[in-house]
Amino acid sequence: MEVKVLFFGVLAEITSTNLKIYREVKSISDLKLRIQDDFPEMVHYNYRISLNNEIINNDPNLNNGDEIAFMPPFAGG
Amino acid sequence: MKTTYLTAGPITQKMIGIFLDKIGSRTDAGGHSLFLGQVRADRIDGKCVVAIEYSAYEEMVKKEAEKIKDHILSEFPDAKSIDIVHSTGIVRSGEISLLVIVSAGHRRQAIDACSKAVELIKEKFPVWKKEIFEDNSYGWKENIPG
Repeated sequence: MEVKVLFFGVLAEITSTNLKIYREVKSISDLKLRIQDDFPEMVHYNYRISLNNEIINNDPNLNNGDEIAFMPPFAGG
Repeated sequence: MKTTYLTAGPITQKMIGIFLDKIGSRTDAGGHSLFLGQVRADRIDGKCVVAIEYSAYEEMVKKEAEKIKDHILSEFPDAKSIDIVHSTGIVRSGEISLLVIVSAGHRRQAIDACSKAVELIKEKFPVWKKEIFEDNSYGWKENIPG
């Protein structure tokens, strides 16, 4: 299985990417651990996570094709 | 009809004119409230903001914009329609980066609904801004909760 991970704002800058594919990821907490290994700098930043365009506060399991976004605090308007 | 909530670059006079031409067709409206958000030449640590670079999570903007529209039309039953456009990419100081127009039967709800829509956009839109200074340095900006 694979999921699409998007990074926005300052997170796109520190990871040097907008998009990364992760394979064989079971859950959001599993994904966060993998991302922290890849990008240790992220621990210094606040962000929210969305799963398929809905902000989540829990730890759902992930399915093939899911889209997860790591989003710093919004600044629109 | 395809609804677009994002536009690349500043919102131009021509675009604003297109929306203003359209509102007259709402013959059930007695008032229209228009908000234009402009890039302000803030001075931060002695440096002046010359532009903002906006980025957005487009699919989620569309979803949130639809939710905001539903919320506004529900909270303000006299509101007839709401248009929202937010810029992406570079917008220079003095240029417009946000347009909100609310048409309502009467002025009170037109004004109040427009104001509420702007607050919801600031809270809910997945948009990020990089302030670019006159010396080409930059800083990431966050909205302060209202």
